[in-house]
Order: sequence, then C-alpha cells, then structure tokens
Amino acid sequence: MAFANPHITASAIEATEFMELTRRYQVTGVPKTIVNETIEIMGALPEEMFVRAALQLPDEPAPPAS
Amino acid sequence: MPLLSSADEQLLKQHLSTITKEVTLLLFTQTFGGSETGLLAKQVVDELAALSDKVTVVEKNFVLDTEDRAKYGVDKSPAIVVLSDGEDTRIRMYGAPSGYEFVPLVEAVLLAGTHELELEPATLALLAGVTTPVHLQVFSTPT
Repeated sequence: MAFANPHITASAIEATEFMELTRRYQVTGVPKTIVNETIEIMGALPEEMFVRAALQLPDEPAPPAS
Repeated sequence: MPLLSSADEQLLKQHLSTITKEVTLLLFTQTFGGSETGLLAKQVVDELAALSDKVTVVEKNFVLDTEDRAKYGVDKSPAIVVLSDGEDTRIRMYGAPSGYEFVPLVEAVLLAGTHELELEPATLALLAGVTTPVHLQVFSTPT
C-alpha cells in the first residue's frame, strides 16, 4: 500500500520488542494493524477488505440480483 | 553461525535475481541503551544483502544520526528503512526481522527492487484515491 501511494507509510512492528506500543494499542493478537492511531484492524483480512477497512471506505455494494 | 541455510540462500538468490533497481536497507541500531536485537537485525540484513549485488546495507547510528532519523521518521530501533534507487519506499520495519518477520523483509526488498506490485486492480484503484496521510502500523511476532 505504501509503495502504491506517496501519502501512505507502512511500519511493520515486532510486537514483543516494543512492549510500550503493544500495550498502548492493546495488541493482544497478531497481526493487528493500527491506522492513523485510531482505526484497529484485527487479523489478516482479504486484500480489498483490508484496504477498505484501513481507508474507512464502505463495503462494495453487492451486485443486483438477477 | 549463519541464519540462512544454503538451501534458503539458493532459493532467495533466485528471487533476488529479478531485482533491477538498487535497494538500500538503512539499518538504525544503537549500541547502548537500545534493543538487544540490533545485532540480530544486522546479521539478517547482511546475510540477505550478500545474496544480491543490488542490495546494500547502510548502517546508521540511532543516537548519533539524528538528521537521518528525522528525514525518515525513525523513532525507535532497531529499524530498517527500505530505499529503491535512493528513493524512500515509505516502508519501515521495526525490530529484528527474524522468523516469520523475515518474509515481509524479503517481500519489501523485492518490491523495492522490481516495482512490481502484486495488488489487485480494484485495490490499486482504491489506493489511488488516497490524498491525505495514512500511517499503517502492523504488529506481528516472529513466531
């Protein structure tokens, strides 16, 4: 994501080495992603779902029933 | 004692042979008062860089190199900043990239070295719409 857009930065943090951060963000399981200090994403989501969650975008509307 | 087996090295060499850009790994560590994993981080990046003449490790002192710390926004150590042809990829790794953490490091190096994104077109379209700063902090563990 960071490579795709210059507005995005990405830090991979080893949770057990930085316990202060782990406590601050209440990391009780991994992977856990914190976006802009406020949004929490637990677990490894499918790619588009993760991006939508990170960017706070609505889910893609379901295709109309035929 | 090396961390990588010769089988791992051969496999990694194959992957790294696709690299066409110069990849620089800026490694920030501190000798006193820092994490004890700085040496491990150094061994990992050194072993990886030894497998490709396109990958270079540049060591930075977390305490003394304050200008570089500020330039790349590095606020803890050990830290790895990934550069592609000298340009910041905005990808950082904090902590020793050992165990499962090694895979994201290799992927970051390959991305910086090839510029080949593996994201779906729909995802790229969403990302293209980002116009304000987004900072992702991904917590994981080596095991």
